[in-house]
Amino acid sequence: MSQIDSLALWREVNFMDKKVLFVVYQAPVGAIWTNEVYRTAFGMYGEDIEPSVLIMNEASIGLSENTKPESLNLLPIKMVHRFIKKYETEVFGVEEHLEKFNVKNIDEKFGMKALKEEELSDFFHSYDLVIYM
Amino acid sequence: MALVLVKYGSDNSAEKIKLQTAKNSDSIVLIQDGIFWALNDELKNIQGNINVIKEDFLARGYSEEECKFNLLDYSEFVDLIEKEEKFIG
Amino acid sequence: MKITIQVMAQPYTYQDLDSAIKIAEKALEKGHEVGIFLFCDSVLAINNLVKPVRQDRNIPKILESMIAEKGLKVDICGICMDYRGVTKDMIIEGANPSGLPELAELIYESDRFISFMA
Repeated sequence: MSQIDSLALWREVNFMDKKVLFVVYQAPVGAIWTNEVYRTAFGMYGEDIEPSVLIMNEASIGLSENTKPESLNLLPIKMVHRFIKKYETEVFGVEEHLEKFNVKNIDEKFGMKALKEEELSDFFHSYDLVIYM
Repeated sequence: MALVLVKYGSDNSAEKIKLQTAKNSDSIVLIQDGIFWALNDELKNIQGNINVIKEDFLARGYSEEECKFNLLDYSEFVDLIEKEEKFIG
Repeated sequence: MKITIQVMAQPYTYQDLDSAIKIAEKALEKGHEVGIFLFCDSVLAINNLVKPVRQDRNIPKILESMIAEKGLKVDICGICMDYRGVTKDMIIEGANPSGLPELAELIYESDRFISFMA
């Protein structure tokens, strides 16, 4: 069973009503959207919504331990780790983008699952809403 | 299956992925600067039913004849919103 | 149907609020229940201190009249307001400061959710 099929089955079994994916593609440090994508996802837990997060393109660098917006006095990304752990939020990355942007030392605390680009079409369509930030 | 909303042109990497991952049964709507995708052969290999917001296309200096795809007014856009349960944008 | 439109980009600089207003107008005409959720820079659209030049549209006033006359709902991310120095007394009549719990509720309860990406 593919990763996407097992995910869909898990959701069905757990009666998750609305499946929402938040996507960020712009790099952290340069823009706030990485921070916002997590903040928005975490805000969904009050309702019967199971949010997921997809990190794409330049935003992929946000998955690295080496990436530190706080080195420039900007809002750190690592503050999201405890919420990812608390809510068990699913965070996805894209293999080809991690390679393209030479992302090293991926921080395990994201619990990131890497998808291949060819899986993205089915992945997007397995959600009710895919919201790009 | 899904309403796919594209608001930036072909220099936007996210919009490229949005279009490349669209399925045959999707309704794609090119709005605002998304209309630039409708020029030339940009959408040659893209699946889905492609629609262009007419007033955004015309306001950017193009004529209706220059659009190979279905031009929508806002009433028709709302019809599409009613039709498609899923949203990707 | 209950339709919610989310906007993130700031009014005037980008077209998103104008597009959202047009979708809302048509959807309201067709009898739908319509709301706009303002996120990030788009919260500036409810600032009653906005003063465009005479020839330009007044987006906050357009939203205000759609709320009063057509039943549009406008919800605003509160933290986004704080970050941009927009206080409650600046908000146009009828728009509601709220936040992510409201957004979650709108996402959950809406039949259709449209979002204009950043």
